[in-house]
Amino acid sequence: MPNVHPEDFVVPGLSVFYASTCTQCGSACGVMGRVREGRVLKMEGNPESKISGGKICGLGQAAVQVQYNPDRLTQPMMKVGSSLQPVSWDKAMAMLEEKTGPKSGINGDEFAFVTGAMSGHLKVLAQNYLDSLGSKNHFVYEALSPAVGFAANKQVYGVDMPRLRFDKAKLVVSFGSDFLGTGASPVHFAAEYAKFRKAPRGTLIQIEPKMTMTGANADRWIPIIPGTEGVFALGVANQLLKHGDFSKTVSVDIVNLVGKYDPDTVSGITGVSSDLIGHLAGLLWEKSPSLVISGASVEGHVHGVQNASAIQILNRILGNVGKTVDGQAQSPFPQLAPATGSFASLKAMNDGMGAGTYKAVFIYGANPVFTTPSFMGFRDNLRKVPFKVAFVNAIDETAEECDLVLPIYTAVEDFGSHIAWYQPEGVEITMQQPLMEKLYSDTRSMGDIMLDLVKQRRADEYKNWPDFRSYLKTAVVNIKPAVKYTDTDEHFWYDTLSRGVIHVDAPQQQIAESFSTEMLDLPTTINSPDPKFPFYLIPSERHYFRDGRHANCGWLQESPDPLTTVVWDSWAEIHPKTAESMGIKEGDYLEISSQNGTLKVKAYLFPGIHPDAISIPLGQGHESLGRFAKGVGVNPFRILNPVFEKDTGELAMYGTRVSVKKTAESEIVVKDEGPVSTQMGRKLVVTLPADVAQLSKEI
Amino acid sequence: MSITNLLNNWSFYRKKRPYQGQYDLNRQYSEYKWAMALDLDICTGCNACTTACYAENNLPVVGKERFKHGHVMHWIRIERYWDEKMGEFPEQGASFLPMMCQQCEEAPCETVCPVGATSHTNDGLNSQNYHRCVGSRYCSVNCPYKVRYFNFWNYPSTAWPAPLPDQLNPDVTVRTKGIMEKCTFCVQRLNEAKSRARTEYRLVRDGEVVPACVQACPTSAITFGNIVDPKSKVAMMWKNQQVDLYKDMQEKDNSVRGYRILEDLRPFPSVMYLERVRDMEA
Repeated sequence: MPNVHPEDFVVPGLSVFYASTCTQCGSACGVMGRVREGRVLKMEGNPESKISGGKICGLGQAAVQVQYNPDRLTQPMMKVGSSLQPVSWDKAMAMLEEKTGPKSGINGDEFAFVTGAMSGHLKVLAQNYLDSLGSKNHFVYEALSPAVGFAANKQVYGVDMPRLRFDKAKLVVSFGSDFLGTGASPVHFAAEYAKFRKAPRGTLIQIEPKMTMTGANADRWIPIIPGTEGVFALGVANQLLKHGDFSKTVSVDIVNLVGKYDPDTVSGITGVSSDLIGHLAGLLWEKSPSLVISGASVEGHVHGVQNASAIQILNRILGNVGKTVDGQAQSPFPQLAPATGSFASLKAMNDGMGAGTYKAVFIYGANPVFTTPSFMGFRDNLRKVPFKVAFVNAIDETAEECDLVLPIYTAVEDFGSHIAWYQPEGVEITMQQPLMEKLYSDTRSMGDIMLDLVKQRRADEYKNWPDFRSYLKTAVVNIKPAVKYTDTDEHFWYDTLSRGVIHVDAPQQQIAESFSTEMLDLPTTINSPDPKFPFYLIPSERHYFRDGRHANCGWLQESPDPLTTVVWDSWAEIHPKTAESMGIKEGDYLEISSQNGTLKVKAYLFPGIHPDAISIPLGQGHESLGRFAKGVGVNPFRILNPVFEKDTGELAMYGTRVSVKKTAESEIVVKDEGPVSTQMGRKLVVTLPADVAQLSKEI
Repeated sequence: MSITNLLNNWSFYRKKRPYQGQYDLNRQYSEYKWAMALDLDICTGCNACTTACYAENNLPVVGKERFKHGHVMHWIRIERYWDEKMGEFPEQGASFLPMMCQQCEEAPCETVCPVGATSHTNDGLNSQNYHRCVGSRYCSVNCPYKVRYFNFWNYPSTAWPAPLPDQLNPDVTVRTKGIMEKCTFCVQRLNEAKSRARTEYRLVRDGEVVPACVQACPTSAITFGNIVDPKSKVAMMWKNQQVDLYKDMQEKDNSVRGYRILEDLRPFPSVMYLERVRDMEA
């Protein structure tokens, strides 16, 4: 209610919008928080942000449900016996000091800091803390990291991530890239996709083993045997070379190599008809410039880098490089650049824990107990570490195992700065600022805690900064010359906060001229059948669940999966033909077993999947994380096999084979879809052939 | 609208709608008619709109058990259809259809309400008066789009465990048990904009106000505005697509994409959809 002396900008009944940054995924969209009477009510896009373009996805909107989550951790907790008990901040910080402070005698090699993907000034501060300890052990871990894709891009283009110009492409051929739902920057790519679909309308072809949301929007969706996408791409290249004279643009090495992939051989390996291969080559030849991209289902194999590289080679052959594939801006702030994380990083850390290397481990922004496969024994290894600290908004599976659990501000209460790993135009530093006062008095800013930790050893250096805000302000003001801002520091700071973004013009990264053909040597036997485990397991990434960290938001649980419309559950997608042959009906419980475990999950008959594959979505199956997440569905991370991508050491997410057994149990699948899945002849969604439509005449 | 007003102006309110001149820029109280255009070719089915609606309109999260019994309260939903002629695989992807109250001019729900709880506003919305609703659910039965949602449970006491109520939008009522509810085109935003415009002696500008779903949509697939204003984008789109608010069973060129769903039932919906396009050569 209004005070006699009202607070600044609080007018009863009127909303005020503050700019900030969404931290629900790594895209770093600029957002606006709608604030009324001191409470943040709704997240909306910030039009100043070139990443979000003033738009927002459902995951981003759920930030307010993280804030007001009924299961938020509101005070520090300390492990007493086998349970976590409330403790004061003074005691908690004293314990931190005792175990990791200068007098603890801990040396840098005995300390590990596991974080999720990080960028901006908090990353710098975390790095400084590690430096002060003399530690190099910053393990950046993302269960669904872009590491394999980066490695492939590095080989083919010499950069981690090129800039993709959907708006310029006449044809996009996507091999398993769900750019509209997950990955680099879904909100930005959705806007680019909209431009791509306007006149002259571009065509989208999607090739993948299980239909993603992007696949559902394709003009042509082609199912393929998992792991054979690279072979398919080389088959297309083989046919493409017949269309014209490529002698000047394509090296003899490539021509020779591609020669081996004739349509019949490729069709035999991939399960895609040989006519389609020639047809696709024809389309690529005809509709130039095109854009060929690859995604998770291509990368999650032993030969993931090669698989993705073989696909990217098509852009080289087609001359798309420089047209639809060019360089992102080169960030002038390397220290702020995003650390996107990898699985290999966590694996190294896990091995260290197993060997008893670490005396203390900090975990922030990651939940490895939930997202690691059971074969890693992460939970058991973590228990071997004498002192474990988690920094969380709500107690998750990893925090349950820790000795000290510290409640931190949510994204809408804290300061911060972020740089996304996909930058559409120039370099955009997105600023995060509190949209409201902290909800619980006993929570603290992660930045403040980090600053206190750094001060344990470098008190003098950091004495000018009482809190993270002042540290951030100093650091941000330092950027002023780079954007040629001429007004005072104070103006720059407030201008930056009110706009929410800093745009820095920067030169483009150069795409490398040459590349080697070694990377194209794909294994010839990709599909060795295993009679015990006849199905490919596809642990699919849901666009609002990702690795499951936001499963405790009611809105997301109740937001139907776009393709199956299932809510509040896990399910196994199985092709109707396969289901029929096994006598499986919708709702039948299936036992899906890999070498490393069994999941019991309901069947959903889904036509958009390869008949030899079974798909279970990731993100559910929590044993903790509060009432909306706990006990909902199953966790496919648990049963993944120890199969690794051979160049990067990443977990091959699509490399697990499973068996499927029907049980006698059955239960209704709770979903939004009605009893029929077609329009039954009604004119609900009408489809018009592209050659009839006259989009150029539309407004 | 009071009962007295309703009875005194019975002939006006029971007049067959829509009629030419019903909406007129120069006539006070009817200078607005809110309408939408929704492009199914660029809708990706991502559900950003539905989540935005939950946030804006205080929709309760009902949980799995109640969802199972069809008690879900999503005012806007994304329907997903497979092609009827689909072979083994959905080779042309899926069809997504965002479905919300179509704000029909000749609304089938309005005529059957025994207590006049659902009626037409002057700016062309199909309104729902929560205070008057007695929960007969006739309107829901009569709605051809199935976009009316009934509060079978007392959600205010169960759906928002503390401190989730802090997120509730103070501009929107939280509905209790026994009440029918539906999409309002975010009437709270429209009223605020209209009121602001009125104090400045002007009409609401095109693009000045949009519902939460339109604002969120990452592909900008939804266009919203005042169709009475011929210069508004939505009015130009309707005209361009040869869809006329006042006509049903419309004849149009084959290449034109605009249509209204179930228009042969003659509800005169205020939402125009643009056909999904597929490259058949691909």
